Amino acid sequence: MSAPTVDKPAGLPTPPPKPKGRILAPAISGQEYVLVGVIAALWVILGFATPRFLSSGSIQPLLANVAPIALIGVGMTLIIITAGIDVSVGAMVMVCSVITAKMMVAYNIPLVLSIVIAMVTGGVLGLINGLLIAYGRVQAIIITFGTANLFQFLGLQIFGSETVNNLPDSRAFFGAGPAGRTFGLPHAFFLTLIIAAVAWYYLRHTAGGRHFYAIGGDPQAARLAGVRVQRRTLIAYVVTGLLVGLGACFTIALGTATVQANIGDGKELAVIAAVVIGGTSIMGGRGSVLGTVLGALLVQTVTSGVTQLGWPTQLSDLFVGIAIVIAVGVDLVRERARRKK
Amino acid sequence: MSSTPETPDRPTNLVNPDGGTPDSGLARLNLTGISKSFGAVRAIRNADMLVKAGTVHALVGENGAGKSTLIKIVSGAESSDTGTIEFEGAPVDISTTVEAMGLGIATVYQEPQLFAELSVSENIFTGREIVKGGRIDWAEQNRQVVELLELLGLPAKYATVPVGSLSIAEQQQVSIAKALAGKAKILILDEPSAILTDVEIEVLFSVVRRLTSSGVAVIYISHRLDELFRIAQEVTVMRDGNTIGTYPIEDLTVRQIAELMVGGILNDERGERIIPDGPAKLELNALSRRGKFEDVNVSVRAGEIVGLYGLVGSGVSEIAATIYGMDYATSGEIKLDGRSIAPKSPRAAQKLGIALLPANRKVEGMFSFQSIAFNISAGHLRLLSYFGTWMNRRKETEVAKSMISRLAVKTPSEKQFIGAMSGGNAQKVVLARQLVERPEVLVLAEPTQGVDVGAKEEIHRLITELAENGTAVLVVTSDLPEALRISDRLLVVRGGTTTVEFGPEATQVDVLAAAAGAVDEAGQAL
Repeated sequence: MSAPTVDKPAGLPTPPPKPKGRILAPAISGQEYVLVGVIAALWVILGFATPRFLSSGSIQPLLANVAPIALIGVGMTLIIITAGIDVSVGAMVMVCSVITAKMMVAYNIPLVLSIVIAMVTGGVLGLINGLLIAYGRVQAIIITFGTANLFQFLGLQIFGSETVNNLPDSRAFFGAGPAGRTFGLPHAFFLTLIIAAVAWYYLRHTAGGRHFYAIGGDPQAARLAGVRVQRRTLIAYVVTGLLVGLGACFTIALGTATVQANIGDGKELAVIAAVVIGGTSIMGGRGSVLGTVLGALLVQTVTSGVTQLGWPTQLSDLFVGIAIVIAVGVDLVRERARRKK
Repeated sequence: MSSTPETPDRPTNLVNPDGGTPDSGLARLNLTGISKSFGAVRAIRNADMLVKAGTVHALVGENGAGKSTLIKIVSGAESSDTGTIEFEGAPVDISTTVEAMGLGIATVYQEPQLFAELSVSENIFTGREIVKGGRIDWAEQNRQVVELLELLGLPAKYATVPVGSLSIAEQQQVSIAKALAGKAKILILDEPSAILTDVEIEVLFSVVRRLTSSGVAVIYISHRLDELFRIAQEVTVMRDGNTIGTYPIEDLTVRQIAELMVGGILNDERGERIIPDGPAKLELNALSRRGKFEDVNVSVRAGEIVGLYGLVGSGVSEIAATIYGMDYATSGEIKLDGRSIAPKSPRAAQKLGIALLPANRKVEGMFSFQSIAFNISAGHLRLLSYFGTWMNRRKETEVAKSMISRLAVKTPSEKQFIGAMSGGNAQKVVLARQLVERPEVLVLAEPTQGVDVGAKEEIHRLITELAENGTAVLVVTSDLPEALRISDRLLVVRGGTTTVEFGPEATQVDVLAAAAGAVDEAGQAL
């Protein structure tokens, strides 16, 4: 075939081997730098606008509130990297919260046990999603939309049209008050950072972690390369379930002594927003946990900032919406630029 | 108007002159009595093949002859229904790709199986990462990748580049590097050259030669029969799911291989057609699209059926897309009734009276979740509505019903979902859409792909009928018997350019040989 040759130096002598070089994408990508910059700028602006914003009394609750979103976001990042999605995490938070809260109130169980209960509950719910998606081969968005409604129903049944009142004080460990902080950081945020760091290392430097990217890139090619596609996919949803359990504990702990049925409302959107703003491609195959943590931080900064400025709260929805549109737009432009080549 | 391509001189400098490796000539892989069915389709009936170490073994056959399925069985992507596979003399059971890789069977599939977002190095090692202490040993992987890239003549810096930013040809070479990363004992190359340029093919061949001289057995699938003589020592021919036989390549010519592939079947019967004289309706003058095709010259008169035949990767499908305004030409011109046109979109092409039956009906041709009536009326909403606004349901139903009977679509009602229909019936519906208003020019891309024999006949009859009513028809196809049966004139596209023209009396063997390169470019036998 005498098609025009590609501009490629085939056949030319190659320079001596350069065994040095980055194989992975850089540890911090362009989008993450931008996020850091935007967050820093927002903090400075908010600091000038309402001097109270940069006080520890304001930053500490902000970080504590970032924790559940970022933590569940770590799991969601795994899922979205495999080109899946889980819109049932909000309902899962609700189910985990009500079961755990009821146990705490009824039996006054120790904190560790309540964490275990919450995580097991979340793990089981995640397993249901994962089995249906990985082995039932159904579309992730449809099936999790379905299970979200089922979980919602389940949670409301357990609530029994009441709220759970008088939660014990042991929950303070997570950082609602001074007792729950180390080096000034709320424990919930601290734990989130540790778990995010582990996930970051796993995704980046282990074979199992890299396989998530392969699955999102091309599941068929991954299968032919010997990747256990179904098992990995299942793991992504189960891990998310476990993290939802722990995130539910954070959510209970950071609120009042009362747990209401609306505790998980909108969580799935906040989490997906954090992941997408963090630069993980909704098409799968690319993404990072660091971006997700930054994305969660940005979302929470906007929400807190709007509140503290005394602006109407729906403005925070507007700003988060704009951030999502920009993030997805950047992804599309990237993809187009690549196709053109 | 027909041509009789001459048998090319076989290259005198046959590859692998000595074959002097220790285990060269020993049986590396022996397949006996392999069969495989997908539902009612018997993809492989009975296949035997013996591949020797240190040789390049070509596997040829027409589209659908069973080559790809056979390869998938060897590489563990499918498992056979019957038959045995012996690897180095011992029977083996290959049921997963991991098992095949474990034996040292590496495969480069026709479509690069890569991950766009991951680096070349990661792509090569996915599934067999070098792990040290639980962590991937990036440095070691990188070192090995750089070696592989050099072997293939790619710059070392590619190791760290995301695969998605490479050209398709480079991606193909990365797939080859991926296959070579494991210690391959058998390397399977499925149409590796279809998307490579001549320079890149030379690099590929030198790599293949180096591998065979170190004892690797290579199974080489290609439609380009001429190149087999430069690289292969033996050739196995498949036809209709059977292996016809294995021959030393020097005992055959391109023409003989082509004859074995088609089984020496002569032309299918076709009715007498009177082609009206007259000026050209559609003309392509030196039409080119950089990197896809160049200097394409075609003219179609009203009432004439012209076939454009080319193998996969020859550029035929891109030519059809350009006429229909889905792509643009970088030079040359398209003329309709002598006027130069340059449709910028399918809508613009339609307005000019050009209709297209797209090749990939599932993606480009049909609305799977809609009824037959919807699928037929789409694109004619102006005609089938009141003032171009409200749908005229009665008229829509009428048109759909008349099309169903005219095209003999097998369906209980025009309300049936098209997605639930068989390939042949669905294709008829998509074709029906083009027939509601008789187009001046109809371009059909692969009109009977995945369509059963009966429906194929009917679709061919319809195309002929259209031409008789004065439509200029251009059929773009890689199905050779079809190209011959249906066209009044047949142009062969090779390497992105129109080469030889055949009349209706051409034989399959002639055309296949021409498309595969048995005619020197200068020999434009008209």
